[in-house]
Amino acid sequence: MLREFAIILLLTALGTAYSLVSGLAPLPWAEPELAAGEIRLQDARGLDVIWVDARSEAEFAAGHAPNALFYHAADAADAAGSMIEILEQWLLQPRPIIVYCSDVGCGTSQQVAAELRVNLPDAEIYSLKGGWSAWLE
Amino acid sequence: MVGIDTRTCLSLLARLLLAGVFISAALPKIQDPLAFAVSIDGYRIISGSWAMAAATALPWLELVIAIGLLTPWLRRASAGIIAGLLALFISLHVSAWMRGLNINCGCFGSSAESPDYVWLILRNLALLITTLFILRVAAGNKHAPQHTL
Repeated sequence: MLREFAIILLLTALGTAYSLVSGLAPLPWAEPELAAGEIRLQDARGLDVIWVDARSEAEFAAGHAPNALFYHAADAADAAGSMIEILEQWLLQPRPIIVYCSDVGCGTSQQVAAELRVNLPDAEIYSLKGGWSAWLE
Repeated sequence: MVGIDTRTCLSLLARLLLAGVFISAALPKIQDPLAFAVSIDGYRIISGSWAMAAATALPWLELVIAIGLLTPWLRRASAGIIAGLLALFISLHVSAWMRGLNINCGCFGSSAESPDYVWLILRNLALLITTLFILRVAAGNKHAPQHTL
């Protein structure tokens, strides 16, 4: 019986190895393609979403996502005003909210998304992988 | 010519049924382990890389034991593992149901439907009873003249 279990275990291991080598499954040490709470631009494009721009005012003025709301991340009072604006938009028509900042290295969008999740616990909130750079590609 | 008794016939039918169920469960999950990992994560028992590891290995185990059930030399061990897996699946469904989770079963690959816990548990229970019957016949045949099918 032990030999039977060993054969089954070996065949399962071979199959698992095949999945890893062939790319069907990610390798254990590979970085996840998407972190928790992130979304890719190609997936976001198919959705009706509320875009939230967490960059600077100058960057926002130079170009932004369609109908994006500007989030005043620098000043607490302005940030509260931005939060109310987002809340109003969401209450008018509940839909996913996607926050973006400059590029993949920028962490502001994750911070803003985290704040939004506290204030809008029922909303679907993401940060955009790659940020504004993803739009420009 | 050796006669084939009813129990042996029923055991063969049961093995074919179980093998078919587990092969059809395994193949879509081998193709898309990421979706299966999401389903596993939904049970809130394991998550992250543990869920991914289980999602990668478990479908292959299901495939191997399904085929093993149809071979004389791996039949008993395969049936034993199937019984263990089904008991585990029943426990997981009961646990998810009691915690009020809205899971994606992940039984036959990804599905958008809400889980019908009663159906899931009863189905797995029926499969478990079938497996125990196979094990009992195999144990009986071990000490009897072979009617190998």
